Amino acid sequence: MVARLEITLKPELFDAEGEAVRRKARDYFNIHLDQVRTIHVLTIDAKLSKDQLESARHRIFTNPVTHISSFAPLATDFDWAIWVGFRPGVRDNQGSTAVEAMEDLFKIRFQPGEAAYTSRLYLLRGQRLAGDKRGYRLVERIARELLANDLIQQWRIYSREEWHAKEGIGIIVPKVRLAHEPSVATLSIASDEELQNLSQERNLALHPNDIPVIRSYFLRPEVRAARSKVGLADPTDVELEYISQARSDHCNHNTFRGKFFYRDLVTGETEVVDNLFKTCIESPTLELKQRKGWVVSVLWDNAGVARFDQDTYYVITGETHNSPSNMEAYGGALTGIVGVYRDPMGTGKGSKLIAGTYGYCVGYRDYGGPLKPHLHPRRLLDGVIEGVRDGGNKSGIPTPYGQVFFDQGYMGKCLVFVTALGLMPATVAGTPCEEKTTTAGDLIVMCGGRVGKDGIHGVTASSEIYSEHTPAGHVQIGDPYTQKKMHDFLLEARDEGLIAFITDNGGGGLSSSIGESARFSQGALVELDKVPLKYEGLDLWEIWVSESQERMTVAIRPENLKRFMQLSRKHEVESTVLGKYTDDGKLHITYQGNTCAYVDLDLLESGFPQWEFEAEWVPPEYRGLREPVLGPPEDHRRILLTMLSRPNICSKEWIVRQYDHEVQGTSAIKHLVGLERVVPNDAVVLRPRLDSLRGLATAQALNPTYSRIDAYHMAACTIDETVRRLLAVGGSLEHLGGVDNFCWPNIQYHPESNPDGKLKAAQLVRANWALRDYCLGFGIPLLSGKDSMYVDGNLEGYFGERHKVSGLETLQFTGTSVIKDVQRCVTMDAKMEGDLLYALGFTRNELAGSEYYDLFGYTGLKVPQVRLEEVLPLYRALEEAIGAELFASVHGIYRGGLGVHLALVAMAGGLGLDVELARVPAEGVKRDDVLLYSESAGRFIVTVAPEDRARFEEKFKGLPYACCGRVTKIKKLKIRGLSGKVILNVGLQQLKTAWKKTFANL
Amino acid sequence: MAKKKNIAAPIPRIRSSPKALVLTGFGLNCDWETAYALELAGAEARRVHINQLLMGEEIGEVARLDDYQIFAFIGGFSWGDDHGAGVIFASKLLYNMGEEILSFIEKGNLVIGICNGFQAMVNLGLLPGLDGDYRSRKVALIGNDCGSFRDQWVHLKVETSSPCVFTQGLENLELPVRHGEGKFYAEERVIKNLEKNNQVVVRYADSEGRAANGSFPENPNGSLKDIAGICDSTGRVFGIMPHTEAFIHWTNHPDWTRQKEHYRRRREPYPQEGYGIKIFRNAVEYFK
Repeated sequence: MVARLEITLKPELFDAEGEAVRRKARDYFNIHLDQVRTIHVLTIDAKLSKDQLESARHRIFTNPVTHISSFAPLATDFDWAIWVGFRPGVRDNQGSTAVEAMEDLFKIRFQPGEAAYTSRLYLLRGQRLAGDKRGYRLVERIARELLANDLIQQWRIYSREEWHAKEGIGIIVPKVRLAHEPSVATLSIASDEELQNLSQERNLALHPNDIPVIRSYFLRPEVRAARSKVGLADPTDVELEYISQARSDHCNHNTFRGKFFYRDLVTGETEVVDNLFKTCIESPTLELKQRKGWVVSVLWDNAGVARFDQDTYYVITGETHNSPSNMEAYGGALTGIVGVYRDPMGTGKGSKLIAGTYGYCVGYRDYGGPLKPHLHPRRLLDGVIEGVRDGGNKSGIPTPYGQVFFDQGYMGKCLVFVTALGLMPATVAGTPCEEKTTTAGDLIVMCGGRVGKDGIHGVTASSEIYSEHTPAGHVQIGDPYTQKKMHDFLLEARDEGLIAFITDNGGGGLSSSIGESARFSQGALVELDKVPLKYEGLDLWEIWVSESQERMTVAIRPENLKRFMQLSRKHEVESTVLGKYTDDGKLHITYQGNTCAYVDLDLLESGFPQWEFEAEWVPPEYRGLREPVLGPPEDHRRILLTMLSRPNICSKEWIVRQYDHEVQGTSAIKHLVGLERVVPNDAVVLRPRLDSLRGLATAQALNPTYSRIDAYHMAACTIDETVRRLLAVGGSLEHLGGVDNFCWPNIQYHPESNPDGKLKAAQLVRANWALRDYCLGFGIPLLSGKDSMYVDGNLEGYFGERHKVSGLETLQFTGTSVIKDVQRCVTMDAKMEGDLLYALGFTRNELAGSEYYDLFGYTGLKVPQVRLEEVLPLYRALEEAIGAELFASVHGIYRGGLGVHLALVAMAGGLGLDVELARVPAEGVKRDDVLLYSESAGRFIVTVAPEDRARFEEKFKGLPYACCGRVTKIKKLKIRGLSGKVILNVGLQQLKTAWKKTFANL
Repeated sequence: MAKKKNIAAPIPRIRSSPKALVLTGFGLNCDWETAYALELAGAEARRVHINQLLMGEEIGEVARLDDYQIFAFIGGFSWGDDHGAGVIFASKLLYNMGEEILSFIEKGNLVIGICNGFQAMVNLGLLPGLDGDYRSRKVALIGNDCGSFRDQWVHLKVETSSPCVFTQGLENLELPVRHGEGKFYAEERVIKNLEKNNQVVVRYADSEGRAANGSFPENPNGSLKDIAGICDSTGRVFGIMPHTEAFIHWTNHPDWTRQKEHYRRRREPYPQEGYGIKIFRNAVEYFK
């Protein structure tokens, strides 16, 4: 029988969840409600007796102190009620744990098809909520735009009049029913056109150039002969799906491995750039690996590995999860962070997760224009923040650092960067932990979650521009609970030496994880019918490519299987043997004894044509960019306050505080520092081994607005910013690890749909050149990196017309550095009254793409540039001085410029600053506003105790530095302009109010 | 099970360091640092998966609660915090080894619950343990008033009249809270009883050590009477929302770089240990 249990807080208790809905309805839609109360609904579809149901109700699901509950409807006294539940097949984590709890309580197993489903009933009360059509429209808006996302959820609305007191919402069981016999289809390859049509029909997203190669393989006589022995002729859908996944841009990085015909339209110079990955990422990193003994394992595994200390390595990678987050922000971001955590878990023989970081690029939260994205940026950002929050917090992994950037361009598609850091011992069971391989005879074991229809074609969908027709099936909800159990389990298995090979099931599912791991042994035999399913009715190809989450594929030697399964039981993680690795060169898949795929593993390695792009560069001055004619401002006080309150500068404490940033006990430098712990520090530092003083610093940067001028300098400045952030906290130039995450709009030229594709392609080439130049210049091996193309969307406008909205060309750069003793670390807050204030590095007139120009709606031409020969000696001196503990505070000057960052140093310290602009090292700057808001690279603000002055100045002899003020007890930021006159004298409280007010009520 | 009378068992004397069991598994996650903190404090700590206690034979790793003197319910997201933080965790323990836990307490041993562990203990009924009744749910930790998870360091005022073994000799503490459901709630008469019995151990306070009086963010979750931690009437069973194991090194503190400038300029050595260790050391000292 099906029972519906309703649970709610006792009426006298404050309902924080309902209150949040009430507040958002007011803030977002100006709908004033008097009260919102929530009822949690648990629908149990299982053969349980009345006594058992009653026992579950009061023993598990009802807290006698705070709850009332009933199998009859609890709702009374409301104007409108909204019920929200999942659509069939959407991951319901709470439903699963409810089943687990009941199974444990009654010592039973739920049978296939039995389940528990959670949903919510919101009871709305409001004087202005009439029971008429207008009231309905307001309530429907709350349901559609606040409470539910129709891609994953369904909702029902009840007016007080319609409500049936006895039946309530009735019984709603979102059970998946697939009246479908699993089958395998054969696809005709009679002609290129036919295969092309099939590709389109089945959403295979095969590249037109790949089609002849695929056909010719399946037409080869020796291939046909071998296939006929296993009962196959033309390719099956399982095989073509496998090829499609492996060849997708997401998995194969066809763009970065493509051939670019680069032409400078002004000079007429041309250059063929063959493979950006090889020339700008792989080759510099390999060169640096030769010089830097701490680089352990790069460029082949799920994440990069570098030395932390004598017997420990750290592991890092970064990902994006843009397309899914754009459609279902919470589920997409949650799946993103939980997914990237599986990369370090699947690196070498596995590593323990020690941190995650985030980067969000979204449209403006208060956007009120005519464009209609699937989710309003405000709602999207809320969802993304919460998704990463639950993913990190529930995994027991600190989220110590992150950044947010707002720009209109991200309305088309948002960016959600997630980065994961892990730690592994140098050796496990006597073998190097970073190495792994599969050998013929090893068993293929899948661990973790089960397989359903979710996530099918995620990989190919993220390789496409978002449209209203994008299949919603690839929207998923991550399950950190299941993954945390699996993480703990696999680490124990690793330490007992049971794991020969491990990799995650991410994009492409089993197709990728088995396909890739089989290349080591040179073959695999997979029995698809062994794969545990969430529900029956999946076609074979769906099982093979499903991206259902929280799964790892592991190679286990047969003699280790017993112990491995014992540990699996201990942690209550499902593990299943799916087949074995072989060495016959074939990927051989069977279902109930019949072959459904039989292809050569090396099929993917040869013969596929490189993607080709035309790249045309027009330098910014020839694109019409100019410096604006902008006179100096008179009211410096108001300009600074305005700058501080801008979304890309202001406080985002509300986000940082939602993340557990110190679980594991490793936090040494937190993101928010200073007297009131509200100002973000340049970087964070972990002390990942509790028994050691060694630290791991990490920081990230992105500066996408500079791409408006030249993506070369965008990339250069972003790398420089990351380096400075790491150095500011105490990082070392000797050990700088990098992770590049490119997010780019479509670069394939099309006269109608992508007319500026050639310029975007040239920008990508230029950004990669900068990556190469500055990684070599600073000595940063790229430990890992990823690219995500197609940051575009077609949004409906006011009149029903559609606009293509492309994101800015964006590189997020993540850096790491190992610190010998965390007690040497410095934070950015001014510490002591009377300390001297120094500016390091030249300020130049480089305002293009800056926050200051953006305030007035200008782009400009003079974009910040990074002069390696100038900044490197300065950075070396800084590193030495921090090592000698000569600084009380160190802070880089980033977006917003000197003015903004002086204010941050003062606010953080709770101390005043008395500054003379005339003494700031500068080149060619004649105006106060330029000095205050130029975003020149390579600069720092430091404070120094007077007694350390001589030692400090000795170290910086001959370098661009100057004492330009001091730290004062008077809580004011006082700045004298170039003329010597005081141009600004503002109290800290005022600065702080301006800086905090933008998102104050969040 | 019959209600137990107030248990005033003698302190079990042990020759070597006391053994501490740090319970892990099913989404709990502060196991490593809690074990490390207990070791620093002088205990012999072991991380034990719940299933080692419940099905040790089958998985080839048997553990017995009887072999330990300190039982740590740690922080984390057991069962994803679904259906109420610590609810399924409590149900799992209660219906599989409830008697063993009661007998562990009866023998005069110590139990500490931190964050999710505290939430589990109140759902088990181990706390507040009014009148020696360790099976009744009388208090609850519910959703923060601020509406979301929050990570923030708080000032805590220790009630020195409390019999709590873990806080002896302490007056003030600074620790981080990291929870979404930490609002201490109970009916008024229960709270009165707790106060009367000196079972309130720590309260949220301002930087001067004065009670927060419900003001945010000093009281980060809206806890009634600023209550951050309570103990049973014997003081041997203790639950606290802030993370004592998160302050095990002085660099865990958010202000340490500021403090460092003072030490450095006065040419004083840097402290090494974090203040949170004192809680665990008190537990170890109890057995000496």
